Amino acid sequence: MKTYTFHVTGTHCASCKILIEDILMNSTGSPQDEQSFVKSVRVNLKREIVEIETDSEKSQAELVDILNEKIKSHKYSLTIDKSIKENKKDDVIWKALPIGILFLVLFFWLQKSGVLNFGIGGQTTPTTSFIIGLIASVSSCLAIVGGLVLSLSAKISQDEISDTKTFLLFHTGRLVSFAVLGGILGAVGSAIGINFTFTAILGLVASIVMLLLGLNLIGVFVKNKIALPSSIFNFFRKIEHKTFTPLAVGFGTFFLPCGFTQSMQVVALSSGSFMSGTFIMLAFALGTLPMLVLLSFGAASFAHGKHAPLFFKSAGIVVIGLGIFALLAGLAGLGIINPLFSI
Amino acid sequence: MSKTVSIIITLALFMGFGIIFLGGSISKNNSSQAVQNSEIKDGIQYITINAKGGYSPKVSVAKADIPTKLIIKTNGTYDCSASLVIRSIGFQKTLSQTGEEIIDIGTPKAGQSLQGICGMGMYNFLINYNS
Repeated sequence: MKTYTFHVTGTHCASCKILIEDILMNSTGSPQDEQSFVKSVRVNLKREIVEIETDSEKSQAELVDILNEKIKSHKYSLTIDKSIKENKKDDVIWKALPIGILFLVLFFWLQKSGVLNFGIGGQTTPTTSFIIGLIASVSSCLAIVGGLVLSLSAKISQDEISDTKTFLLFHTGRLVSFAVLGGILGAVGSAIGINFTFTAILGLVASIVMLLLGLNLIGVFVKNKIALPSSIFNFFRKIEHKTFTPLAVGFGTFFLPCGFTQSMQVVALSSGSFMSGTFIMLAFALGTLPMLVLLSFGAASFAHGKHAPLFFKSAGIVVIGLGIFALLAGLAGLGIINPLFSI
Repeated sequence: MSKTVSIIITLALFMGFGIIFLGGSISKNNSSQAVQNSEIKDGIQYITINAKGGYSPKVSVAKADIPTKLIIKTNGTYDCSASLVIRSIGFQKTLSQTGEEIIDIGTPKAGQSLQGICGMGMYNFLINYNS
């Protein structure tokens, strides 16, 4: 029995340890199996090493090829010598920085240009609320709802979890919550006013989550892998693994601060019946759907593509920019700081 | 892409940010100083502010020591400026899409100011009171 130590790259998440250990143990047969040559696997994320106990007669150089073959599809790679990938990573951030900031400039320029401010007169019907949803999905609301969707999607895709199911659940949760809560608003009338302070605080929480995820995507936390408090990590694990959490997050987007959403809530309030409230809010949510679906599934397809590192870093920069914007705006909205800017 | 090129592009883009955030508001402030948006009728001062894609004028000047009411006009307003918060008088309401909201702000004193902000915090307006 010999013990070999390999350097590993591509370990970006806490669950990577479990995943690598699983793959290397199971794909080489069960430990009791005669054919199995890997007897035990230990992954040390902090030191980025994998220790393998084996009774194989093969040399370390041969083993590294065999093992790499097994974990290649998960974008991990083992080397005998410590890889000199650090420089390459630095290059990516320098490419990602202008790309991310370019997106931010375009986004805020679009807000400033006033293109999105055309009015829709007359009665609000499900058709007009659909159009308003389309506008809202590229408006400043995108800073908070879209930023959250982008950061969560990128994070989930980065962790190689079955992202399609998670995204479908999130969007379903969003549509259902808008329909049901819209209906309730219509039926109950003015009895429940949605409190501004409550939505503003929720917005602050969302912007802090965006900032943390953005920093994580850029790789600020990579040096010491598990820098986020473990409770937050557990929360994301739940998002990734459970059915309920993406549904609930989708549900929660109803309350995120967004002027368009709040206007539509008032329209639903005054609509006077459950059905009309449902149709107005559902149409609005459907209007916002194309952009958000594009963000989440676009993130996923980039994440599995060739330019994944560049995408994650660019997305991280965009998310941090939007997060800072949402945070400052949220604090100003609560009256904690003076408004620093006005777009 | 080399580091230097990247830094140059980044700086250029940051200047773009400066133009977006500051350039617009400076020119707007200058023009809005001249706008006369208050009138006195039957001893009550009415200040009119339009809310749509932001508030205009963003800075207005009104007289102090006179009962004052604020008129917020909306016209097909669905964006954030419809959800108005005025902290100093504890006002918060999502305005109807088209119409006028009349808000009583009492009798302000000279040197005071009144700030309104939209629910998400990215649009705001300011009224200064002079004697």
